[in-house]
Amino acid sequence: MNTRRRTTALIGDDNTVVVAGKRLTWRTLRKLPQLPSPAAVLVDNGADALAALRHHAVHGTELLVATESRVDERMREELGESGFAVVLPDGAITLPRLKRVEESGRAWLLTSGSTGRPKRIGHTLESLTTVTADQPPRTWLLPYSPGTYAWWQVVTLSLTQADQGLVVIEPSELEEWPKIATEHGVTAASGTPTFWRQAIYRDADALADVPLEQITLGGEPVDQAILDQLREIFPTTRISWIYASSEVGASIVVHDGKAGFPKAWLDRDPHPERPVLSVDGDELVIRSPHHGAGQIGAVHTGDRIEYDGDRVLITGRLDTDEINVGGSKVSAGVVRNVLMGHPGVSWARVFARKAPLVGRMVAAEVVPNRSLGPITDADLVQWCSTRLPDYGVPRRIKFLDQIPQKETLKSDV
Amino acid sequence: MGEVMTAQGRALPAEDTADLREIGFRSLDFSELALRVEDELGDELNFDAPGLRRIATVGDVLDFIEQLQSA
Repeated sequence: MNTRRRTTALIGDDNTVVVAGKRLTWRTLRKLPQLPSPAAVLVDNGADALAALRHHAVHGTELLVATESRVDERMREELGESGFAVVLPDGAITLPRLKRVEESGRAWLLTSGSTGRPKRIGHTLESLTTVTADQPPRTWLLPYSPGTYAWWQVVTLSLTQADQGLVVIEPSELEEWPKIATEHGVTAASGTPTFWRQAIYRDADALADVPLEQITLGGEPVDQAILDQLREIFPTTRISWIYASSEVGASIVVHDGKAGFPKAWLDRDPHPERPVLSVDGDELVIRSPHHGAGQIGAVHTGDRIEYDGDRVLITGRLDTDEINVGGSKVSAGVVRNVLMGHPGVSWARVFARKAPLVGRMVAAEVVPNRSLGPITDADLVQWCSTRLPDYGVPRRIKFLDQIPQKETLKSDV
Repeated sequence: MGEVMTAQGRALPAEDTADLREIGFRSLDFSELALRVEDELGDELNFDAPGLRRIATVGDVLDFIEQLQSA
């Protein structure tokens, strides 16, 4: 077992950590028994995930941490065959089938799996700690699923910076997080656009009570409508969106309240601390200093872009965003942005449906904004008809009762 | 078919022989109609089943949809 102390200073070790209503600090979190290394620690609560991370930070072990539900039997076997001991929430340990030397200090992340089965991406605490400048004192909400890139971003900030408290939100608490956040004085929160939409949809007044100084969005395409809705509720709060992934790390950070990023950011001169952004065809390509192991050089992200004046919009995944309607191509992300711009729409998903003659047609699922009275599919078709070419107008629109959300806080839009 | 036309602000003519081009019933309208039928039936239709054919009149559309449902 490696017991070297790591180089990343645990400056935040005495920061407050609220878990299950209890106020602790990183230092006073429940101590886990000595973990094997390499270990895949599967957790069923946020506190144990933080304890596993601190153990990794102190001892420099090789760690993968994830929720138990994200790692199925097949993946557990693959982990065992790759040399990981698998540690279950009750402490039971399945020894690895392959014995190998640990990669000291290696932290493994699972991708969200939006392009298939989750992949393992190697990082270190240093490569995951992308916020290094001094930060104003804040208490951060932690709604993310343990082990995701966004989770690591928030927890490393809290562990390596002074005065960055955490309030952990378990999946069972997601519906009432604004109340918990207000109770514990949360001043900064990061979540997917779906997460924010749900909060507004459920109870915008409760959300407005949270004393937020910083709002961050990421993990999904960020549209202008959600930025505008948050600005209306929080007129003076700093609202940022981040493009980040396990592969390239946090690569784009935008604070101006607008969707997309300035075109002028493309193909800038290389800088050691700043990712280089470029476009190949209509795919976003990033060369990032915060990349995962083996992701050196230009990484084709698989995300599709569209130009809108002097902005570059990220519209969705390349393999699903483009819908070919009888030879005319339309971006599902652009159609979704138009739908989301309708005041009566709280959430929308746009997708292709197989159809005769034209091959594919644009269709949509929509969650209406209940506070603004009923809307019909004809209303939305008319709204879209004045803003999109006729082949981009969703002709079939299904209304849903609630915003779908996965464990990763995304809704696969 | 009438609903699709109405949604476009147009009316469905009474005669089955009415020419689709003349009444402005386009490929997208035809496709929308097929999806409406699919949604009504709650089942995915095999759009290839009726085979290639000329669809020029209101009657042709109705025949096609009928064949889709029985395929």
